[in-house]
Amino acid sequence: MSALHTIIRRFGRFAKSRRLQLSAGIISVSAFVVFWHCFAWLLEYWDLSLQEYVPFPIEVFEVLVYSFVHEVPGMDLSMGVMALASLKRVVIGFTLALIVAFPLGLLMASFRFVNYLGDPIIEMFRPIPPVAWIPVLLVMLSVLWGPVAVVFLGAFFPILLNVMFGVKRTDQTLIDAAKTLGARRIDIFTKVVIPSTAPYLMTGVKVGLGISWMCIVAAEMLPVLGGGVGNALWTSAQQFSRFDVTFACMIVIGLMSILTTGLAEQVERRLYRWMGME
Amino acid sequence: MDGDGVMISLLNLSKTFSDDKHTVEAIDGFSLDIQQGEIVCLLGPSGCGKTTVLRMIAGLESKSSGSMKVRGKSVTSAGSDRGLVFQEFALFPWRTVRKNIEFGLELKTMPVEKRHEISSKFIELVGLTGFENVHPGKLSGGMKQRVGIARALANNPAVLLMDEPFGSLDAQTRNLMQKELLRIWSATGKTILFVTHSVDEAVFLADRIVVMTARPGKVKEAIPIGIPRPRDRTSSEFISVRGEVLSVLEAEFEKTQIRELSGD
Ligand SMILES: Nc1ncnc2c1ncn2[C@@H]1O[C@H](COP(=O)(O)OP(=O)(O)OP(=O)(O)O)[C@@H](O)[C@H]1O
Ligand SMILES: [Mg+2]
Repeated sequence: MSALHTIIRRFGRFAKSRRLQLSAGIISVSAFVVFWHCFAWLLEYWDLSLQEYVPFPIEVFEVLVYSFVHEVPGMDLSMGVMALASLKRVVIGFTLALIVAFPLGLLMASFRFVNYLGDPIIEMFRPIPPVAWIPVLLVMLSVLWGPVAVVFLGAFFPILLNVMFGVKRTDQTLIDAAKTLGARRIDIFTKVVIPSTAPYLMTGVKVGLGISWMCIVAAEMLPVLGGGVGNALWTSAQQFSRFDVTFACMIVIGLMSILTTGLAEQVERRLYRWMGME
Repeated sequence: MDGDGVMISLLNLSKTFSDDKHTVEAIDGFSLDIQQGEIVCLLGPSGCGKTTVLRMIAGLESKSSGSMKVRGKSVTSAGSDRGLVFQEFALFPWRTVRKNIEFGLELKTMPVEKRHEISSKFIELVGLTGFENVHPGKLSGGMKQRVGIARALANNPAVLLMDEPFGSLDAQTRNLMQKELLRIWSATGKTILFVTHSVDEAVFLADRIVVMTARPGKVKEAIPIGIPRPRDRTSSEFISVRGEVLSVLEAEFEKTQIRELSGD
């Protein structure tokens, strides 16, 4: 009886440990790769002429490593250079969105008049998916700045709406407390409203970053000066039927998205620690 | 200061809340004078308008009619001459203890050294030395309210308004904080208007207990408490005064209950 208890307790502790989480993760990812391999192998075995679309995992891995510094097969740029080009566009578009949406969100949620002016326009543009802007933006701004503008639109609304929501959720008792301590409207805005919006801003930032990567892939499908992973993704499949390259591009985009989100989470943690809100 | 020593003067004060559908008469014909340096405890049935009176004096709520003066000046808006202490503490979570206490001083654009000097003084007064750089999230309820009191006092207000400040604390902490408040009061000589639900707390603290009627609230009875300090809760004098206050209050409670039962 007590032996059973010990086992259950041990297992309970193990189940909560980080080691279990890590091992479970490794097991499920390996299982997926094995499944993928078997699937590719079966397609080849049955010879349904589908095999060219599903490369073996090892092939994708090889082309990923090879093309990171060498030219991507069929293209004159390396994956590293193109990844950097895409990253640059995302960073520029996202940063511009942040610079505009954060103050605008604060103002719109704080001043009724600004809200009356801005709200109809926001509501008019918000339902339009950012990728619907691709044709006009690419033609208008050329393929160089078009993708940046699409990223801007994609990141803009999540940041704006989250900030506005955050301002509205400011604790009224904190505002009252500030008033009784002698705060004027501007003090309340800078010393109470803005700090208490921080967690909502960070939510907007994380959502906005995710959408930025969706946007960049779609917006780079046309040939773009300086290259881009989105473009490599499309050309490798459509022109060269190099699906190993296509999958490699998908992995690169996923990794970059993880990277930027991880960075945002790091910033968020630091911000909370600094603000004492761990 | 005014020659007659009246700090707060409320005359025929009334307050009606109204939105599209409802109007609520919270306060009607509330009159009360509070002397400088006095501790007045406001007691009354739930929803009788205690918080409303306090918020009106603080300038967070406008009056519907009547007159409301602090140091002879009509109250029109919130200001740092009236400090408010909240039941839910209302500390800025992103500011450390020191930064919370210095909030009002920052607004006065006081130089950093002066600010530091004042905040240090009040940190010591409320017994938070050693916790200057801790954020409120890491403090116990009692300590949070010490910060709340120090923050209000750092502004050097003429009056301290306290809305059930110890209402969310456990019994031990609560008793300790009452003693602490009296210590701080004798050190600063502030006028204190203190809202509470606890008759025991009111009898322990007050120079005068003001019992309010059920809504719309006005003064039902003002009971001077002459027991010398420090007061002993177990003394026969304390117990008899508490009984007296309780009976005044209970009559009012019954009225609210009857009204609720009859569906008003
Ligand atoms: N902003 C408001 N809008 C509408 N009605 C309100 C508002 N604030 C208070 N009231 C009403 O006014 C009455 C008095 O409220 P108040 O909070 O002052 O009572 P209280 O004596 O502090 O009650 P409690 O003992 O529960 O704290 C209540 O009926 C309440 O519903
Ligand atoms: Mg109340």
